[in-house]
Amino acid sequence: MRKIFANAAVREFIRIVLAVSIALLLGLIVTLLVSEDPWGAYKAFLLGPLSKFNRFGDWIEESITLIFVGLSVAIVFKAKQFSLAAEGQLILGALVSGSVILFVPIESAFLRITVAVLAAAAVGFIWGVIPGYLKAYLDANEIVSTLMLNAIALKMYDYFLTYHIKPEGAGYTASDFLPKAYQVPSFMPKFAGNLYEMFSKQTNITHFLYIMIAACVIGWFLMYRTPFGYELRMIGANIKFARYGGINTKQVIVLAFAISGIFAGLAGAHLAQGIHNKLILNISMGLGFEGIVVATMARNNPLFVPLSGLAYGYLRAGADIMERSSDMSREMVLVVQALIILLVSAEGILPVIQQRVNLNNGKGDGVGTAAVPEGGSDVIQ
Amino acid sequence: MTPVIEMRNIVKMYSNGVVANKGINFSVERGEIHALVGENGAGKSTLMKILYGLEQPTEGELLLDGKTVEFKSPQEAIANGIGMVHQNFMLVPSFTVAENVVLGAEPLGKGGMLDTKQALQVTADLSKQYGLRVDADAVLDSINVGMRQRVEILKMLYRGAQILILDEPTAVLTPQETQELFVAVRALVDQGKTVVFITHKLREVKEISDRVTVMRDGKLIGTQNTADTTTEDMARMMVGREVFLNVNKAPQNRGDKVMEVQNLSYVSEVGRVMLRNVSFNVYAGEVLGIAGVEGNGQTELVEVLTGLRPAASGDAMVHGKVVTSKTPREVRMAGVAHIPEDRLTNGLALDASIEENLIVDRYFDPPFRKGLMIDRKMVLKQGQDLIEEFNIRTPNGQLPVTSLSGGNMQKVIVAREFSSNPKVLIASQPTRGIDVGATEFIRDQLVQKRTDGAAVLLISADLLEVMSLSDRIIAVYEGEITGVFPDAASVSEEELGLYMLGVKRQSFEEMEAYL
Ligand SMILES: Nc1ncnc2c1ncn2[C@@H]1O[C@H](COP(=O)(O)OP(=O)(O)OP(=O)(O)O)[C@@H](O)[C@H]1O
Ligand SMILES: [Mg+2]
Repeated sequence: MRKIFANAAVREFIRIVLAVSIALLLGLIVTLLVSEDPWGAYKAFLLGPLSKFNRFGDWIEESITLIFVGLSVAIVFKAKQFSLAAEGQLILGALVSGSVILFVPIESAFLRITVAVLAAAAVGFIWGVIPGYLKAYLDANEIVSTLMLNAIALKMYDYFLTYHIKPEGAGYTASDFLPKAYQVPSFMPKFAGNLYEMFSKQTNITHFLYIMIAACVIGWFLMYRTPFGYELRMIGANIKFARYGGINTKQVIVLAFAISGIFAGLAGAHLAQGIHNKLILNISMGLGFEGIVVATMARNNPLFVPLSGLAYGYLRAGADIMERSSDMSREMVLVVQALIILLVSAEGILPVIQQRVNLNNGKGDGVGTAAVPEGGSDVIQ
Repeated sequence: MTPVIEMRNIVKMYSNGVVANKGINFSVERGEIHALVGENGAGKSTLMKILYGLEQPTEGELLLDGKTVEFKSPQEAIANGIGMVHQNFMLVPSFTVAENVVLGAEPLGKGGMLDTKQALQVTADLSKQYGLRVDADAVLDSINVGMRQRVEILKMLYRGAQILILDEPTAVLTPQETQELFVAVRALVDQGKTVVFITHKLREVKEISDRVTVMRDGKLIGTQNTADTTTEDMARMMVGREVFLNVNKAPQNRGDKVMEVQNLSYVSEVGRVMLRNVSFNVYAGEVLGIAGVEGNGQTELVEVLTGLRPAASGDAMVHGKVVTSKTPREVRMAGVAHIPEDRLTNGLALDASIEENLIVDRYFDPPFRKGLMIDRKMVLKQGQDLIEEFNIRTPNGQLPVTSLSGGNMQKVIVAREFSSNPKVLIASQPTRGIDVGATEFIRDQLVQKRTDGAAVLLISADLLEVMSLSDRIIAVYEGEITGVFPDAASVSEEELGLYMLGVKRQSFEEMEAYL
């Protein structure tokens, strides 16, 4: 037992699972109190996302977006910079990537898609440099500045969509579908035959899945293996120490905002090119902010972001289904979500368990299991 | 007579597995001053935190006046008359002294608002009763450490503490403040209080305590009447071997000028002149000591020299290269290392691992940087080496610095700064909070650096430390140099004191040749 707990990765995993389970239990209690048909409603919530293949697809697709924004938030939060810029970055990422596919006449599908994705990343980066610079050099509060920038991004999106992108004379505010030839292919390779048919027909799980996995690995590598990641983490741990030690804190802060923007931009590209295959009004609906939940649940560690993204995505998907198929309202689901956030951010849960385990395994040798610095900084040894 | 406090068979294991107390039996008599000594990490603070309800014992029991008690929180301990002043203060910086004193048990006036007048009144009364001088209406941010500490003590007295635990109170005090504190402690005991007092300075144990308990490695080695023991005995009990508190210095071999400070001035944010035309040189192979009462510009001087604050005017150079108004990185690259006076503000990232704290000035260059990555093997190896060399008490270097005892935290800083091979070593309070054994070690290392040819600038509130380590001493008062003593060995404490208080002053002509 003790050995297992010593492995920080396992501990984090247990922590997330534990938090989600407790929250689900509390959710059940709420359902019992509120619903006419609690068992049916709760079943829809709990098993809904797995009940049909296309629902499974919805879950994974949404999770991919959540994981991208989760990564984005994890990176700035690690430096204790409370940027809320992900929402705006995501919106602009979607705008730019969709526009590239629709309007940039590059013949090769591969190239056009690549350019679109890179453009989304770039615009996210730039939309991060601005609040980063304002914070680092002009001491502007990042919460305020990023919220303002989000509003600007949203208005820009609406403006371009309404006046430039929407097909002339159309009775709705949305772009044309992205041309079939320039859509991102399904993650299943063609030679998988039946599976390919199933996935490509019923879901929009695309190559963004691979980009997402790569992004997590790169994000983790950046944070825990590179000098930049070290600087980022030291700034988060004690910015005065970082400065005293010689770290160029201002520059690192700008970069933290900017690099975080890359991932949010990719989330936007995924919305435009992976999920909707067109640009629509309200394409985000606050997904950028959900990144905060995902990142917090993952303790800002990129390697745990997929896990927390999937878990949180599952809850959201289940909530959707329950809302549609029972008398339960979305509000109850929000209650469960809030409970999870509370439980996961309550630092206390696991140490208590661990202490119990230590005690039961004898004591007095003085060389104990490792406490995890900074909530899992050196997590994967 | 039953002791007021009896702790029986106390075992404490922290959640990371470190066993800080291994079956301790400790008792305190009513009305005594009981000193608690032991090496860094011996478990002193842990034992006292248990008494104060801040940590729960894994095993063992607590008796107050012969009755078993259990404190789940400091509130319960205070309710039973036990108060503690921590190694690291816990006050609200934006509140006034009086507000801090009454915080949590405020006298309320009309409409449930804080009755400021009464708060000021009780603070002033308590202050007078025990001789703990404070400015009741000053904002905490604006007062010095000595007074902050008195505020902490008053706070405990206000809550009705009968037994006061002081965890290394003198580590942050000047000698004068220490004397003031001792007067207050005696007054407390005269008025029926009991005091437990942790310190690393054995001189103080002799001076103030009635009994002394020595701890080592989580165990209680013994309790004795202070009168029956000598500082040498105590040191031996603590460390388990003979300790030499006198520094053996190799004869000085002074080399070239390394650091040159010219007409340096600094004005604080609020417009106070903290440094006024300060000029001096530091030479290779010497320890230049700065003697001064804390708060006379030393902090500002060090921070200007290390790039943490911009100079208002004037320059500092290392080997002819200007280092003022450069970034801390540039200053470090010029060969300056810096042990900061306040380890918790600048010196450490508490939540980061020990290893990571040891590379902040070097992670970006080989061998720590390999291509795009940080070479974790090197980081690990350096961590292990330094932990061993500097005897940092920890199971391993991956643990966060928070898990270390106060003195071991200081050793992490010292290890990093000493191992950077500096040309100039600026050491501010290098042995603050460090046990005798480690103090001996750090002083030896400091002198070794100087003998090997580094220029060392030493700032310490411990006048004896300045006098015994330095080759040359300058005295400062209100941001100005008031005197320079080219031969540290030949100046007396009293003489130096007069310059430190600005009573005596050398003229510029007198000083010029020796600066
Ligand atoms: N919160 C904590 N978590 C884990 N280990 C801890 C914690 N606090 C202290 N320790 C460990 O317990 C041991 C005793 O620490 P303690 O602070 O009691 O020492 P101390 O005698 O007060 O030392 P110092 O003179 O340096 O202040 C040390 O090895 C330390 O690393
Ligand atoms: Mg201590």
